[in-house]
Amino acid sequence: MTREELISLFSPDLFIPKLKSTNRDDALQEMVDHAVEAGVIRDREVILGMLKNRESLGSTGLGSGVAFPHGRSLAIPKLMALLAVSKKGVDYGAIDGKPVNLFFMFIAPPVEKDNRYLPALGQVVELIRDDATREKLMALKKFDEFKAILEED
Amino acid sequence: MTAMSEHLLRLVALQDLDDMIRESKDKALAKKLENMGFAMGGQEDLQAARDELATGIDKVLLSRYERAVKRLGRAVVPVTGNICLGCFAVIPAAFVSAENQEKIQHCENCGRILYWPRGS
Repeated sequence: MTREELISLFSPDLFIPKLKSTNRDDALQEMVDHAVEAGVIRDREVILGMLKNRESLGSTGLGSGVAFPHGRSLAIPKLMALLAVSKKGVDYGAIDGKPVNLFFMFIAPPVEKDNRYLPALGQVVELIRDDATREKLMALKKFDEFKAILEED
Repeated sequence: MTAMSEHLLRLVALQDLDDMIRESKDKALAKKLENMGFAMGGQEDLQAARDELATGIDKVLLSRYERAVKRLGRAVVPVTGNICLGCFAVIPAAFVSAENQEKIQHCENCGRILYWPRGS
């Protein structure tokens, strides 16, 4: 997957610059509700249940303030990528126990023609391993800044 | 939400959970995710969530679901562009109305339960 293809998965409609929630379940709910309001998700309970079940398999909070709630669901017609920033930090049960400030949510249908879900997830995980990039992303205020950071990286 | 659509949504959630359990047991996939840094150790919790969800589903529907899983691999499949993604048969127009999409309907060709996600 090229960087342009990765950037194209995200959109201003699915960007939350100031997440209000401070715990895991509320944060997942806030992000899913945002996607419902954007018209991307209809059956919110199905998606929310899937994301919570995925967390029971092992926290998707990978540490250093970043989490990647993700999974596959019948309730989404095509791959969805949502980006959210929390200034206060969310108590997410991350593997390092630290609060999460940056969320990349990926939800994919059970079958994808172009199979972009895992490559996109892997590419973003790799991207945030770079301290400078991660810090810039955590300070995001506008969606255009996100695009610029990924384009320059 | 109608009572019938609630039944359908429970079956959709069950299919999602069964897919997740199956994926968590796929060693190649689990390794790929572990290499990204994701822990994949909570299969027992997933099974417990599955058992709890199944107890809330009408017994006749659950039995139909389980039989379809045994016979076809997946019991609930999405419909995109009026195509059943279980067998790629065209869904007859009579099935496709907004009202019918809320009901539990089976593909006439493969017998799987049909589900219309938003935007399809």
